Amino acid sequence: MLRRNIRMRREYLYRKSLEGKERLLYEKKRKIREALQEGKPIPTELRNEEAALRREIDLEDENTAVPRTHIDDEYAHAAEKDPKILLTTSRDPSAPLQQFVKELSYVFPNAQRMNRGGQVISEIIESCRAHDYTDVVLVHEHRGVPDGLIVCHLPYGPTAYFGLLNVVTRHEIKDKKAIGTMPEAYPHLIFDNFSTKLGERTANILKYLFPVPKPDTKRIVTFSNQSDYVSFRHHIYEKHGGPKSIELKEIGPRFELRLYQIKLGTVDQAEAQIEWVIRPYMNTSKKRKFLSD
Amino acid sequence: MADSKDAGEEALRRLIATFQPSFLAPNPALSETSRAASRHLFSALRPFCPKSPLDQLLIDGFDAEQIWQQIDLQSQPLLSSLRRQVKHFAKNPEEISKLKVVPLGKKVEKEQREDWVEESDGFDEELEDDEEGEGKGGEEGMDIEDEDEEQGRESDNEEESEGEDEEEKGEDGEAGDGGIEDKFLKIDELAKYLEKEEENFEKAEEDTRGKKGADDEENTEDDDDDDEEEEEEEEESDEVSVLLGMLSLDLAAKMQQGTWKMQGMDLFYGVFLTLEHCGWDEQFILLLRYEDFFGDKGKYSKKMKAQLHQESEGSDEEDDDMKFKKQNKGTASTHQKQLEKIHSKIEEMEKANLEPKTWTMQGEVTAAKRPKNSALEVDLDFEHNVRPAPVITEEVTASIEDMIKKRITEGNFNDVQKAPKLPSKVPREVKELDDNKSKKGLAEIYEQEYVEKEDPTSAPLSFRDEQKQQASVLFKKLGLKLDALAHFSFAPKPVIEDMSVQINVPALAMEEIAPVAVSDAAMLAPEEVFEGKGDIKEETELTKEERKRRRANKKRRFKAAAVKRMGKKVQEGALPNQMNG
Repeated sequence: MLRRNIRMRREYLYRKSLEGKERLLYEKKRKIREALQEGKPIPTELRNEEAALRREIDLEDENTAVPRTHIDDEYAHAAEKDPKILLTTSRDPSAPLQQFVKELSYVFPNAQRMNRGGQVISEIIESCRAHDYTDVVLVHEHRGVPDGLIVCHLPYGPTAYFGLLNVVTRHEIKDKKAIGTMPEAYPHLIFDNFSTKLGERTANILKYLFPVPKPDTKRIVTFSNQSDYVSFRHHIYEKHGGPKSIELKEIGPRFELRLYQIKLGTVDQAEAQIEWVIRPYMNTSKKRKFLSD
Repeated sequence: MADSKDAGEEALRRLIATFQPSFLAPNPALSETSRAASRHLFSALRPFCPKSPLDQLLIDGFDAEQIWQQIDLQSQPLLSSLRRQVKHFAKNPEEISKLKVVPLGKKVEKEQREDWVEESDGFDEELEDDEEGEGKGGEEGMDIEDEDEEQGRESDNEEESEGEDEEEKGEDGEAGDGGIEDKFLKIDELAKYLEKEEENFEKAEEDTRGKKGADDEENTEDDDDDDEEEEEEEEESDEVSVLLGMLSLDLAAKMQQGTWKMQGMDLFYGVFLTLEHCGWDEQFILLLRYEDFFGDKGKYSKKMKAQLHQESEGSDEEDDDMKFKKQNKGTASTHQKQLEKIHSKIEEMEKANLEPKTWTMQGEVTAAKRPKNSALEVDLDFEHNVRPAPVITEEVTASIEDMIKKRITEGNFNDVQKAPKLPSKVPREVKELDDNKSKKGLAEIYEQEYVEKEDPTSAPLSFRDEQKQQASVLFKKLGLKLDALAHFSFAPKPVIEDMSVQINVPALAMEEIAPVAVSDAAMLAPEEVFEGKGDIKEETELTKEERKRRRANKKRRFKAAAVKRMGKKVQEGALPNQMNG
C-alpha cells in the first residue's frame, strides 16, 4: 500500500511536469485540425511534425483529445462515486463549535463527524485514505465562534483554506419549531459569480463535496460570491401557485467564506506547492478581485 | 501725642494681627485702621527727615493717591541721603565703628545690614541688576493702588526711581530702627529666617542648575542666559542675602508708609503677607506673577533668574503691566485687554515650543515612550488595505434570495454531473460447450487437478485468450521491476516453482521402427528413483562373505524377535500352563 502510494504520487508529479509539453502538443494539433477543416495550408512551423501529428489526431477519441491537467486528475473519479466526507475540529473544541460541526454534518450529505481528541493531522489523513474517504473538512474557532474552514480532498487532492465570518448557527435560533428538522435529500447547488479561473477552481472544490442529486429535490445550497466573500445559504423551496411563485425557507447555518489559500497537497503536507495565496498587504489588493471579475 | 501714638501703634498692631486674606475684600474698618497705622509710621519717621514739609500724614478725606504723594514727599529725600551715607560707609568702612551706639538688637541688625551692603559693593553690576529686579519687586511690593501712576513713574525714569527706592529702603532701614523693632518684627528672627531661606534658595538653584543641564539641548534659546546665570549664581547666593535684607527693610518701610489702601485692598499685598506667613521666600514671592498663582509652582527659580537677567525694560514693563493689570479689577481698557490676551498667547506658545512635544506629534512612538493607556484616548486612524467584511443587511439577503429564486425557475443549477460511462464494455466470458474429444488424456486431467490441489498458485490462469495470458504475465514481470525501482531496498526475484509429473521413461524405446530417444536429463535422477537404507545389492551380486553376513544378520534379527515373542508368550502362557498342569 505504501509503495503503491509512493508510486502514484510520483506519477502525479511527473504528469504535472509534463503538462506544459502536452499543452504545446495540444495547441499544435488544434492548429493542424483547424487548417485541415478550413482547407488552408498548414502553418509552416508545423510542417516537419505534421505527418506524425496528423496520425495522432486520427487516433484520438474524445477523452484523449482534451489536454488533461493535474487538476482534472484530482477530480477525475469524483463524479463516478459519491463523496465521503469526514468532519472534525481543531483540538479541544468548545461546545458552540461542536454544535456547529454537528450542523455541518447534516448540510453535507454522506458526512461523518469525528471527535478530534488528541490525534495528529497526519494520522487522520492516513486513516481516511485507508477507509476510502474523499474529503476531510476541519473547522477552527475563536472563543466559540467558528472562524476557519479547511477542505482537503483526499487522494492527493488540493486543500482549500477558508476564513469564516458572520456565522449564524441553527442553535442560535431559539424557536426550534419554526426552523423544523433538517432534510437529508441530496441538494441542488448554485454557484453564483465565480468567473475567473481561480473562482472556477474554488467552485469545483466546494462542488465535489456534494453528490449527484436527484433532479426534483427541494433542497438548495447556494454559494454566492460578492467581491471575494462567498455567502453560504441553505434553503428549502416550495412552489405553491404553480409557475412563478416560489417560496424560500432558510434552514441551516449561514456564513461568509473568505478563501485565503489553496495548496496542491493534503493538509498534512506542509511543504506542498501553494497554488494561490491571498496577499492583503499589497497596495492594490483593495481594488482587485480574485474570484470574480 | 502719646495718645495718638498709642492709638497708632494699636492700629498697627491690629492691622498686623488681622487675618491676611481679609485684606482681599474692601472693608471700611480695616481701611480706617490702616490709615491710622500709616499716620503713626509717618510721624515716627518725621524726625529723620529734616526737609519734609509735612509734619503729619493727612488722612482725613484724602484720596489714596494723595496719601501716597505725601509719603513720597517724605521718603524721596530720605532715600537719597541714605544712599549717600551708604556709599560713604562703603568707601570708609572704619567709620562704621564710629557710629552712635544704638539699642541692642538694632546694632546687630545694623552691622548685619552693613555686611550685606559691603558684600554687595564688590559686585556692582549684579547689584544693579538685582536692585533693578528687586527694585521692581519693591515697587510691586509697595503695592500700588493706582497702577496708572505707577506705570507713569516706571516708564519715565525707571532706573532713577528704582535707585531712589533703594535709597529709600536703605534710609528707612537705618532711620527706622526705632520703628522697625516691634512686637511683630524681631530682627534676630528675621535674620535667621533669611539665612534659612537663603540655604533653601541655594538648594533650589542647584536643582534647577541640574535640570538646566539636562534640558540644555532643548532650550537653546536660553543657553546664553543659562551660562551667564550659572556664572553668577554663586555670586548670587551672596546677593540673595543682600536682597533679602533689603526686602525686609522694604517691608518695614512699607508698613511705616502705610502704602496700602484699604478700599480695594490689593490682592497682591494680602497674598504676599499670607505667603510670607507660610514661610515663602520673599524674593520668590515678589517675583510672583498672576499666572503663578494658578499655575505650576515649580518654575520659580527659573523665572527668578530669567527676571534677574532680563535687563530689557520691555520685559520688565510687560511683567509689571501684566501683574498690575491682572491684579486690578475693572480698570483695564480694551486695548490693554487685547494686549493681555496677546501676551498670554505668546507666553503659551513660547512655553509650548520650549517643552518637549506630546507623544502624538513625535513620529514613531513605542508603548514605552508614551504614558500608559494613552493610545485609548487618542482617536487613531489606520488605512486598511483590505476590503471590509460585508455586513449582511436585509437588502443583501433579499438580493441573494432573488437570485436563488431566479435560478430555481430556470432550473439552472451547478450540480455535479455524472461521468459518462466508457463506450466499450468488457465482454463476459461465455462458457461454450465443446463437442470435440478433449486433447488431454484423463490421466493428464487428473494430474492437473492434483497439482492444483497441492499448489494453488500454479493453477493455470483462467483467461481464455492466449494473448491476455501473455499480457498479464508480462505485466506481472513489469510490475515487479517497477516496484523494485520505486524504492531503494532490494527485493529479490520471486521464485516461481512449477510442479509437474516426471515419468521415468527409459532412454531408448525400441517398440517402433524408428527408435525414439528421450533425453536422459528429463528422466529421474538416481537418488529420486531410490533413496535410503535397505539391501541395495541383489542376491546374485553378492560375494560369499556378504551372503553369509546377510544371513547372519537376518538370523540375529529373527532370534531377537523370537526372544521378544517368547517373553510375551511366557506372560500370557503362565495361566494356561497352570491350567494344563
